[in-house]
Amino acid sequence: MDSGSSELAVETDGLTKRFGTRTALDGVNLRVPRGCAFGFLGPNGAGKTTMIRTLLGLTHASAGTMFVLGHPVPGERDQALQRVGAIVEEPRFHPHLSGRENLRIVAAVRGPETAARIAPALARVGLTERADEKVKSYSMGMRQRLGVARCLLADPLLLILDEPTNGLDPAGIQEFREMIREMVEQEGRTVFLSSHLLDEVEKICDAAAIVDRGKIVTQGSIAEISRGGDGTRNELIVGVDDIELALRTLDASELVLQAERADDGLRVVLSGAADTAADVNATLVRAGLRVARLEPVRHSLEQRFLEITARLDEAPEEVRA
Amino acid sequence: MTAIALRMTGADFLKLRRRRWLVWLSLFLTFGVLAIIYAVTVIEHASNPAEYAPAGGASNFKDGMRVLALFFGPLAAILIGVEAGTGDVSAGVFRDLVVTGRSRVALFASRVPAALALCWLVTLTGFLLLLVGSIAFASNLPTPGASLVLNGLGFTLLGTGVLCVIAVAFASFTTSRAGAIVTLIAWQVVASPLLSNISSLGSARKGILSQAIVHFSPVSIEGRRGATVSMSQGTALLVLCVWLAVFLVLGAWRTRTMDA
Repeated sequence: MDSGSSELAVETDGLTKRFGTRTALDGVNLRVPRGCAFGFLGPNGAGKTTMIRTLLGLTHASAGTMFVLGHPVPGERDQALQRVGAIVEEPRFHPHLSGRENLRIVAAVRGPETAARIAPALARVGLTERADEKVKSYSMGMRQRLGVARCLLADPLLLILDEPTNGLDPAGIQEFREMIREMVEQEGRTVFLSSHLLDEVEKICDAAAIVDRGKIVTQGSIAEISRGGDGTRNELIVGVDDIELALRTLDASELVLQAERADDGLRVVLSGAADTAADVNATLVRAGLRVARLEPVRHSLEQRFLEITARLDEAPEEVRA
Repeated sequence: MTAIALRMTGADFLKLRRRRWLVWLSLFLTFGVLAIIYAVTVIEHASNPAEYAPAGGASNFKDGMRVLALFFGPLAAILIGVEAGTGDVSAGVFRDLVVTGRSRVALFASRVPAALALCWLVTLTGFLLLLVGSIAFASNLPTPGASLVLNGLGFTLLGTGVLCVIAVAFASFTTSRAGAIVTLIAWQVVASPLLSNISSLGSARKGILSQAIVHFSPVSIEGRRGATVSMSQGTALLVLCVWLAVFLVLGAWRTRTMDA
């Protein structure tokens, strides 16, 4: 089975989807590397599900090009999707059939080799015991797991999961995270995971794209996005005995881009890489200051996300340009 | 039919046969109604043989066949066909089948033989009851001959099969279970007989599906056709083919182009 030759699992250029006069996707250029968990992050209504539906050929793109596992879509859609498993929105099943029977139906459509994967897939998601019960008796968590089992029937190189932890309890979410990481780290699969939950993406994913109002605002590794677009944004919280002197000293230093008072001391944006912190410390000490605290600021994805979306609200065109 | 098409048809048949209400209701319409008719006529005959004829025999076989082939059988066919046409969409599973990469036309096509299989299975149970009853309760009446039985079987399967295929296609086109059932039953039970009896429509009535189906009734051979419009065998066949082709194309087109 051809799995495509591209190093990217998903690649789009100028992907646009319009519903009448409303533009749901606006020239999206997305790059999803293979072999990672990739978060597609955005607020509700940002275009996440539309993006997934368009990638999977559930709805037609208005403009732009797409490649899934190296195959152009929709031109080679059937080949592209042979090794793709997807849960779009909530996983749906025939409620009057058992879990196993639901998988049999998809296996019949996928091809003869797929039937042999039903039992391992059920075992993988821990549903073997309940596989012969009707799906209408399943909890939401069990349905999510059955949805993943259905994805596994494709022996997927790429899993596309739309808000996968919706409806799961905390234990279920934890279990799900572990399963995703195993699929990436041990089985080498690519997981494309859309979510509006920042914490979820930060904990599961290696890389992400932030989408808002149909546009990709930023994409890259989680660390890069958290620190800023170029990945070099470095900040310190500095505690000293004389804040005024410290401010004057740091303002005069080439090591510092910006220094300002904060509740917990001084907040200092450095101009260079991480080891600049030691130089800042030396500068302060040379100025006769006693440095009680020198702590790198750990940027969270949530913080960065809120910064971006807040800026978009203020001046959308400026930020997007 | 390729192996994959057979598997897909088997999967669609599984979805249908596991719908208990559908199977039981279809069996009631094809088997149950005839069983009730037999029960009543047998009791009537037993209570007053001078007044009521035996429940079996060739004549009762023809009446039962018409009930099965032209009324209750098509109702069951419509229910089964509509369920086959809308089941995936109404359960929200259609998109999960589409993301397998399998052609949407293939997904549509597999519904047709699956629906036909269940439709003909339940129809056959009714036909078997009819046949057994017409012999077992014939008493001194002549029993149906082999030719009548075979022609009747063919006619019954034709009548139910055509309706079933059209129901699959129409339901796939509308994607609305309730809408498709109401429309098709209203057409079959109310509109078709009404239009057939409007003589001012003239030869345009040849285009009515039920008229074309009735043309193949073996009962007509013995002068009990019941059709109000006469047409040649070729015309009847052409009308059937046009109805089937138009609805199949519409159903396939809709399945292929709809947002999943």
